[in-house]
Amino acid sequence: MTASTTPILSMKGVTRVYRQGKVDVHALRGVDLDIHKGDFAAIWGPSGSGKSTVLNQMGALDQPTAGTVLLEGTDLGSLSRKALSAMRRDRIGFVFQSYNLIPVLTAYENAESIMALQGVPVAERRDRVMGLLEDVGLEGLEDRRPHELSGGQQQRVAIARALASNPAVILADEPTANLDSVTSEKLLDMMARLNNERGATFVFSTHDPRVMKYARRVIGLVDGRVDSDVQKEQGVEHKHQSRV
Amino acid sequence: MRGPDLARLAWRNLWRQKRRTILTLVSITFGGFLAFIMTAMNDKSFADFIDDAAQLGTGHVTIQNPEYQDRPTLSRSVQNTGAKRHLALQDPFVTRAVDRASGAAMLTTARDAFGAYFIAYDPELESPETLQFAQDMVAGEPFQTADDKGILLGRILADNLGAGLGDKIVFTLTDRSGEIVTGMERVKGILSTGAASTDAAIAMLPINTLRDVVGYQPDESSQIAIFLNDGRRAGRVASTLRPEVGGDAVLTWDEVQPEIKAFVAMKVGGARVMEIVIGVLVAAGIFSTVFMSVLERTREFGIMLAIGYSPGQLFRLVMWETGFLAMTGLLCATAFTAGPYWYLHTHGADTSAAYEGMASSMDIGGVAFDPVLRFDIYPENALIIAASIVLATMLAGIYPAWRAGRVDPVESINVI
Repeated sequence: MTASTTPILSMKGVTRVYRQGKVDVHALRGVDLDIHKGDFAAIWGPSGSGKSTVLNQMGALDQPTAGTVLLEGTDLGSLSRKALSAMRRDRIGFVFQSYNLIPVLTAYENAESIMALQGVPVAERRDRVMGLLEDVGLEGLEDRRPHELSGGQQQRVAIARALASNPAVILADEPTANLDSVTSEKLLDMMARLNNERGATFVFSTHDPRVMKYARRVIGLVDGRVDSDVQKEQGVEHKHQSRV
Repeated sequence: MRGPDLARLAWRNLWRQKRRTILTLVSITFGGFLAFIMTAMNDKSFADFIDDAAQLGTGHVTIQNPEYQDRPTLSRSVQNTGAKRHLALQDPFVTRAVDRASGAAMLTTARDAFGAYFIAYDPELESPETLQFAQDMVAGEPFQTADDKGILLGRILADNLGAGLGDKIVFTLTDRSGEIVTGMERVKGILSTGAASTDAAIAMLPINTLRDVVGYQPDESSQIAIFLNDGRRAGRVASTLRPEVGGDAVLTWDEVQPEIKAFVAMKVGGARVMEIVIGVLVAAGIFSTVFMSVLERTREFGIMLAIGYSPGQLFRLVMWETGFLAMTGLLCATAFTAGPYWYLHTHGADTSAAYEGMASSMDIGGVAFDPVLRFDIYPENALIIAASIVLATMLAGIYPAWRAGRVDPVESINVI
């Protein structure tokens, strides 16, 4: 899948400063970044470089100290808590490092839960969830609860859940961190396929070189600034200077 | 997420920590059991106590001369008692309406003289529900008609007077015009009410004997005693009757016997305080359980907020959990209480061993307490307890539910 030229998600001059005791911690220092439809992008960098903070900003989980985050043209900073909830529900998919499925729901129900939140009719939910579980290779395991699934299977459910709402972008925070290498490869294969076949947009934060191998765009973060932004397919490297 | 889906999630969440949920249910069950049994005991004992007071006094509702309450003499009487009794009996809550004349008298035998409180009544109008102790004879026989001859004495009064069955008793009292008059009857029976102070003072006469002595007309008495199927309706019945009885006063049992009212109010108040204490303790236990379960799931709530649940949905989710806890607790409390309640309702609990040697202290205002505790709860009180359990549980869940919706996703997921 080739990324389109119009960004679906855009960060402009985003700064995030946390107060820890009497010290200000600059997690992001004027980040400018565009994510396009169909991107399969990895954000990498050392610990403390701001990878997860970027995902939090993109995912409407946190507000920037300065700058704006636009999702499909909407300034996330202008939205109420309720509107942000709706935005996360309808336009953003999350995949977390430790899967974070709802433990009392089955694989099917976890994937279905977002659609239930959206008010999708039951019959449509069923068709879509069964299709998604098949896509992520979990057919036959629909009725299992998270503790009855392996780590890789749980992460597949999490991906199905993230895709269920037809989001504009799926944000994955270290999705392979808790998986062995074989399972990680399979999962990355699957996400690459979903990117190709469904046009799903993925943004990862990662340390994992395997993820960067699969990613077609690699964004490097250092000290809260975008240090590099490489489109691997086109072989063109864009170096970004972060704003201070 | 629509209601049923949140409910399903809530029900499953409730059973994630089975042991904790069961312990909480046990505390709700035990609290509900205590509240229910205590209330059933109070309801029955106070209802019986009030009924006994109504028997000894002048019914749940009394029609009497408007000046009688301040100066209870036989000169302040009620006329046309037959018509007024008929009027009272039209009310569906009224079971009996009877003529009574009562007051103070001096009883004299060949050996001694004692003051007494007499009740003159018509045995054909009364029933065991209106004058049970007139049937509780330790010797002799009760009266059968208003024209019978004789006098019934309380057990201790008879001892004090040195009177036995068939002995002559001269009674002295004031008549309807205020003059001192005397009558003479033989002891027909000796009775025991169970209240020592009453047994030391009570004397009973057929009402026509008294009418002859004091100069009353056949449809004249000092009071009309009205008995209800539920003493709590006295105020309502009195209000209905008041405009219908001309210049007579219509009083409720607690207006006639304020000392009984004060005692019951004090005991009921004490019981309510105990019930509130039980409720607060149970609610505190529920609060800690629900709050703990919310704190343990902070990360989970953060995830749920991240993937699109709104704070309001998380609030409702925890309230559903609390609601299920309340309803399950209520069902358990009902199931656990049903057996003991049935037994106690049917057989009572005999506490006489605990009061052995203290019989003389087991009466208030001359009304005896039955040493066998009976249990019978008013349906509305049972509903209030059930509603209180649910309400206390739901209230205990509000703050934890609010906290669930206020979780910061970034901090709770700890992805920073």
